[in-house]
Amino acid sequence: MNEPSAVFVVDDDPSILASLESLLSSEGHKVLTFESGTAFLAARRPDLPACLVLDVRLRGSSGLEFQRELVRSGIHLPVVFITGHGDVPMSVSAMKAGAIEFLLKPYRDQDLLDAVHNGIERDRARRAEARQMAELRERYAAMTPREREILPLVASGLMNKQIAVNLQLSEVTVKVHRAQIMQKLQARSLVDLVRFADRLAADHARDHTRA
Amino acid sequence: MRRHYIVAAGLVAALLLTMPFAREATGRTEALLPAYAAATGVLEIMTAALLFALYNVQRSRALLILAAGYLFSALMVPVWALSFPGVFTALGIDFGAQTTAAVAALRRLGFPLFVLGYAFASGTSAAGRFTGVAVFKTVLLVSAGAALAVGFILTHQDRLPAFMRDERHINDIWLLVSYTGMALYVAGIAVLLVRRRSPLDIWVSLVLFSLVIELMLISFLGGGIRLSIGWWAGRLYGLTAASIVLAVLLFETTGVYARLSATIAAERRARQNRLTAMEALSASIAHEINQPLASMITNADAALRWLARSEPRLDRVEDALHRIVADGHRSNKVVAGIRTMFMKGAQERAEVDLNALVREAVTIAGTEARFEGIAIELELADALPPIIGNAVQLHQVLCNLIENGIDAIKSAHDRQRLLVIRTGFGAYGELHARVADSGTGIAPGMAERLFDPFVSTKPGGMGMGLMFCRSVIEAHGGRIWATANQPRGAVFHFSLPAAILPRDTAEQEP
Repeated sequence: MNEPSAVFVVDDDPSILASLESLLSSEGHKVLTFESGTAFLAARRPDLPACLVLDVRLRGSSGLEFQRELVRSGIHLPVVFITGHGDVPMSVSAMKAGAIEFLLKPYRDQDLLDAVHNGIERDRARRAEARQMAELRERYAAMTPREREILPLVASGLMNKQIAVNLQLSEVTVKVHRAQIMQKLQARSLVDLVRFADRLAADHARDHTRA
Repeated sequence: MRRHYIVAAGLVAALLLTMPFAREATGRTEALLPAYAAATGVLEIMTAALLFALYNVQRSRALLILAAGYLFSALMVPVWALSFPGVFTALGIDFGAQTTAAVAALRRLGFPLFVLGYAFASGTSAAGRFTGVAVFKTVLLVSAGAALAVGFILTHQDRLPAFMRDERHINDIWLLVSYTGMALYVAGIAVLLVRRRSPLDIWVSLVLFSLVIELMLISFLGGGIRLSIGWWAGRLYGLTAASIVLAVLLFETTGVYARLSATIAAERRARQNRLTAMEALSASIAHEINQPLASMITNADAALRWLARSEPRLDRVEDALHRIVADGHRSNKVVAGIRTMFMKGAQERAEVDLNALVREAVTIAGTEARFEGIAIELELADALPPIIGNAVQLHQVLCNLIENGIDAIKSAHDRQRLLVIRTGFGAYGELHARVADSGTGIAPGMAERLFDPFVSTKPGGMGMGLMFCRSVIEAHGGRIWATANQPRGAVFHFSLPAAILPRDTAEQEP
């Protein structure tokens, strides 16, 4: 493990919990075990790339319900389900809700370790992506309203002259703004700029639908 | 039981009341005779029909004989009434002086013989499947027999014994009939009361008793004088007793049918429940075995990985191996539980002493309780009747309940650690056992679902234990339920029917 990560295990069977803890830590994972979903939610969890191993059958609420609850409360952990009696509709509904694997007990250890590894990598990527997005948003926040007005026009492929006509500005002014935009967003090329603009647009759209 | 005594006492009281006037003659009361005869005939036919119907359900040959007796008696009534001197003179009927008395003698001696047949034949159940045919044959046979007897009496008038001195007074030879009848009645009553296998036996013996009273009034107290007060009183008392018996019979027959249909409905429901329960149970068992299996495999995988590391971690390997051992024991427990549930001989029943079962279960669970610092108190009722059941299964039920109680107390740390087991009687004389713990108690809304499969409140619990308890208790005709304990904790109750003493076991065979 080059970079620290964590595995959370939620299962109401203490012996399964202990065995999973042992197996996962033998591969060098940092493992935290919880006997219930509530215990998991209540605990202070390390802010690391992580994966959640979850039993489908939990006391109180089922693992599937708990998974939905996680999604609702904005916890985007990749989930690996383990179950003693998985059926197709159950696994489909788990996968739809974002599970990355659905393993039948008794599972092969390598399958579980692979699934956990994938989960952690996926979470790592998601976290990196989220970090970049946060930076991008910060940079965007530093832009002036005029620059924010010009950005989508540049990204849509219009030339300076066309933008100038559109916004009734001089071509030179547009050029200056454009340079400012490139600098503030730390875009090295027009291609970079287009990509950033797209991601920001998508992010805005998401914010809108969420609100 | 009390109802029989009331009727019998009423008959005796009526006898005593009538005694002083028994010999007084009444006027021309022959006119009332057809009414009396009709009532008696209808009553007896109805009783016979009812008994035939009962025979159809219960197929006991004894019932068939009793029904035949009533049918025979009923068939004699019209002949007796028609031949009675001075009643149907308008129709121009005259059977001669002795016919009525001969028919009466036949009826009076024939009926108790049938009853004796009933009393002795009882218990043998008819082999044939076609009860309808048997009923038909019996009716035919009795009718033919009655017709033959009547025919014989009518055709041999001159050779009949001279029971009557004149139209109203008897000869001493009639007393022979009276004594024989008395002897038969008393014998019948004795046999029925000694063998007493069912409520019907007691009612039939009451019928014989009413016949004794009737005969006493007619032949002895009434001096054998026809149409005297004693003569009429005897008949009326007999009629009243017979109607009471018929009413009781009707009541009990409808009860039998109601019970029968209720049993069938319950049987159907139970079968349905068993099916769904079996499905749930098999899934439950699969899970229950799979769980420690999965844990064992994971532990073994983990141990291998700890060993394969460049610096093997033997402490972690040891931990994993310990967990494998524990899982092995756990699955063994599951298998043992299943075996008790499905063991060959799960249907075997014997007399079981509930208190002994409790003591045995407490001995087994006592070690863990002592270890956990939990006190177990026993409050066992003295002189409990035995229950008929499967000792192994009932033992398992008690063990489960006690273990549950201990678990509940364990998980409620700072409380009084006490488990009270009590035995005694329920409201209806059934045996009642309760296991009361001072544990965490039952969450609201859980009490109803506790006994369903998959429902568990214990960490790692499968919800099989209480479901097993319920299926065992219900298979024993009992009930299991849970209530809250005061001030805290839960009480698990179960009730089981007490074994009925062998003398009354023939409930289903009246």
